[in-house]
Amino acid sequence: MTDSEPCSPAGAGGPAGDGDRRSPATAEFLADWRNAAYNCFSSGHKFCREVCPVMQVTRNESWSPTAFHANVVAMEQGELTVEDVAEDYVNCTGCGACELRCPNTLFTGDFYRFRTRTVDLVKRVRALAVESGVHQPGHRRWNELTEQRAHEPVLGDVPVSQEHVRDWAHGLGLPVGGETILFVDCEAAFHRTSVPRAVAQILRLAGVEFGLMGEQWCCGGPAAEMGYRDQARRFAEHNLADWRAGGVRRVLVLDPHDYVTFTEDYPAYFGDAYDVEIVLVVELLAKLIEDGTLTPTVPVPRTITYHDPCRLNKRKGVWQEPRRVLRAIPGLTFHDEDRVTQWSYCSGAGGGLPVERPELTARISGSRMDRAAALEVDTLVSACPWSERPLAEAGRARSIDVVDIHELLAESLGIEVGGSTGR
Amino acid sequence: MTTSTVTTPRVPDGVLGALVDVLGGEHVLTSRTARFNRARVPAPFPVHRWRERVPDLVVLPGTAEEVAEVVRIANAHGVPIVPRDGGTGLTDGAVPERGGIVVDVKRMNEVKEIDLENRTCTVGTGISMLKLNEVLAGHGLIYPDNPASYPCSLVGGRIGTSGWSLIGARYGHTRDLVLSFELVLPTGRVIRVGDGGGRKVSKSSSGYQLKHLFMGHQGTLGIATEATLKLYPKPEAEFSPFWAFADFDSAHRCVQRLAHAGVATFAGAVLFDERKVEYLRRDDEAYIPQPADVRALVCAVAYGNEDEVRAGGTRLMRVARAAGARYLGDEISQGDWAARHDRYATPLHGRTRSGQVAPMSWHCEDAAVNWTELPAVRREWHAIVDRLRGRFDVFDDWGMFFYTSADTGVDYLTEIDVGIWEQELDDEAWAAWVAAKRDIAAVALRHGGSISACHGACREGEVDLVPLELGGGYDVMLDIKRALDPRGVMNPGKYGLDRAYGPSPAEPEGGV
Ligand SMILES: Cc1cc2nc3c(=O)[nH]c(=O)nc-3n(C[C@H](O)[C@H](O)[C@H](O)COP(=O)(O)OP(=O)(O)OC[C@H]3O[C@@H](n4cnc5c(N)ncnc54)[C@H](O)[C@@H]3O)c2cc1C
Repeated sequence: MTDSEPCSPAGAGGPAGDGDRRSPATAEFLADWRNAAYNCFSSGHKFCREVCPVMQVTRNESWSPTAFHANVVAMEQGELTVEDVAEDYVNCTGCGACELRCPNTLFTGDFYRFRTRTVDLVKRVRALAVESGVHQPGHRRWNELTEQRAHEPVLGDVPVSQEHVRDWAHGLGLPVGGETILFVDCEAAFHRTSVPRAVAQILRLAGVEFGLMGEQWCCGGPAAEMGYRDQARRFAEHNLADWRAGGVRRVLVLDPHDYVTFTEDYPAYFGDAYDVEIVLVVELLAKLIEDGTLTPTVPVPRTITYHDPCRLNKRKGVWQEPRRVLRAIPGLTFHDEDRVTQWSYCSGAGGGLPVERPELTARISGSRMDRAAALEVDTLVSACPWSERPLAEAGRARSIDVVDIHELLAESLGIEVGGSTGR
Repeated sequence: MTTSTVTTPRVPDGVLGALVDVLGGEHVLTSRTARFNRARVPAPFPVHRWRERVPDLVVLPGTAEEVAEVVRIANAHGVPIVPRDGGTGLTDGAVPERGGIVVDVKRMNEVKEIDLENRTCTVGTGISMLKLNEVLAGHGLIYPDNPASYPCSLVGGRIGTSGWSLIGARYGHTRDLVLSFELVLPTGRVIRVGDGGGRKVSKSSSGYQLKHLFMGHQGTLGIATEATLKLYPKPEAEFSPFWAFADFDSAHRCVQRLAHAGVATFAGAVLFDERKVEYLRRDDEAYIPQPADVRALVCAVAYGNEDEVRAGGTRLMRVARAAGARYLGDEISQGDWAARHDRYATPLHGRTRSGQVAPMSWHCEDAAVNWTELPAVRREWHAIVDRLRGRFDVFDDWGMFFYTSADTGVDYLTEIDVGIWEQELDDEAWAAWVAAKRDIAAVALRHGGSISACHGACREGEVDLVPLELGGGYDVMLDIKRALDPRGVMNPGKYGLDRAYGPSPAEPEGGV
């Protein structure tokens, strides 16, 4: 039944008189989000609550997806302002679990051609706050440093810069440029350099031709997530211009966060003119294993579980390929956990949470590692460099090693990876 | 417009500081968002009056002792306290009527003990059944309190409402499944109530039976902080046939034959009336298409050991067939039952009179009604909602469900689902809705039923009839309330219990 459009109630501007006090930016925001917010408000079922990683560790209802929507209704009613709400919206990792668990997404989606978009809402409120001059100190500092250096300050006081963005590839003799390039996110490029090293060497072994990017900046996704939209856009424009200048047709991406940015944010910025193919490395590797190009033969004697990175499993529906890769590696004992069960798992590393609330990130990754510990594994395999730092920290206390899926595959292919795992 | 009445806490001097001393600043919330988000539950209300329900403060205690301290402080200063758990209650129990302190117990969600020998577990009341069952599954056990709000309601709220479970006909309802609990009384004293004194006793004859008294009181008699629960083996098998009928009357006859069949694994049956089927067919994209001559449905569900469920299922099928039922096949049966929780009350939109789609909130009016009375109650309830819809184009009739409460078919949880376009709900439409709720409750009472089988009856409208329903029992409620809560601090305004304190409600100091 798709013949009827939902009708819009009268009084869209909220109670008379309040319109005048609102900034145009707030008014625009409310016009865009009022119906979506009301769809959640009117349900109020809170099925999302127990899958939300922040809710699970804080049990604070103010930081639930339901509250994030209800606040918009209250803003429309003139009861709350952007100043009132801004700080609460820090408490989200952007994992997307709430959207999957939402009865609106599950069942009314088809009808309205609508789904609950909490992740977008959180980004949008953060942007409204920033544009209204309401900053979160950690987020502001992070983005200032990113702006200065063109990369996220993932090494703390150790500066990151353009001169060092390819240091991870030291000794591998990778070319720069070409039709296909490998894009490496800030965390992997500067911190967990073993991941891009593993990826690059596996691809070379498989005969995939690729180069590095001319002048790679941060993808801009984190700035977009924290509400610094202009900055995000500038970074995107730089990167796209660099690709265009070098004749890049295809970008290989190893980081799920980049993958979301390149497949969702960039198309939104650039529309149809954006004709670059984005390839997720783990999907490519699964294909190369399947068609016999790559055959892992070196047994890896570990007892593992796989952590479904939120942005792959919950945001992009990618969960089969990583498991195919792992099942191809000899020697592993694999205690898998269902991807739907993993809707409620998260490392806590996304959406700028560790920047502003590192203690929450630590509790979330701690609770994730408790699940792994219950499976009596010695290793947790992830496919997301950003998750690996907090998970590894939590893993140390539980004697569980955190390994990236690309590192593991490389080992089974007999590759001496090198680089740093940040351990 | 923000009003100064909700910007700064109105609690008397010293209360905020005392609470921070007990809980630490992190767990005493004064922000506007914290307070607005604990001023509502899913039941629709006039959104433009949201501010009337906002508490002054929110606390997130982590232990029973902290709860007790909070209650002592509030009691000493005469400040209202509103217990809140999942915030999914449909009778506004967790919504403050007089400001004060919301005591949100969700942090108390640990599994403290699993006693495999005696088949019990002891939990903090902030835990959800879904999360608890994830832990219990590792032991092959289940805590079968299974409301349609299974993913979101929490054990403390189940106690506060004396909740109703979809599979209660087999496993009992919350009152049967909670063996005992720790309770902070309105004065701050901590007691344990159960069947007698033992924590894990399911049947006792010593003393007054207090467990019932302290369940379903909607937070007016105290705050449960820990509960000991009865566990069952995780069922090996589930059987959930759906049957179709050409009309309500034949479905109505069939559902009672199923309940009468005496099948031990029978866990419940649900009857969908013609308006419900019509609504689902019209507006629920997820509804699995059925032939047009299907006008009423019955679903039964059986749980237990494989061999027993199979045998019981065969008998239920035979009984249904003899009653003229048409089995709808495995896809619909398994799919629909599995989706019972997820699709509950969705699609969350309705139609105006002209047929246009409008985003609507779900409101569920429920009552306990004997089987013999269901057809008459159904007719009268639909007529009430039809009249309402005729006057205000913000209401939609989403049909009725009838669920067995017991394993004998004695009474049914009877519910009418009404779509309400809250964004458009003005004071006049709201007043008409409140009057309709009162009429709906009156019908249930006229037919010998009870105003609510599961949610409670303290919303505007039906609450007026509670003294009529309970008669002299209501006077006993007033006496108990006065005795246990001398200052009237526990969830004041609910159930008309202000009457316990004379003509005007107890005035707390500090002008709350
Ligand atoms: C989609 C949906 C389906 C539903 N289906 C059912 C159903 O099938 N069966 C059913 O019974 N209900 C159902 N409900 C209603 C609701 O889920 C129940 O009433 C549930 O028991 C409320 O639990 P809660 O944790 O959300 O409590 P809350 O809403 O937080 O509180 C409910 C009441 O209990 C009091 N309370 C809260 N915590 C405590 C405590 N620790 N000690 C004492 N009192 C306390 C509150 O003050 C309030 O009066 C449904 C609701 C929704 C939204």
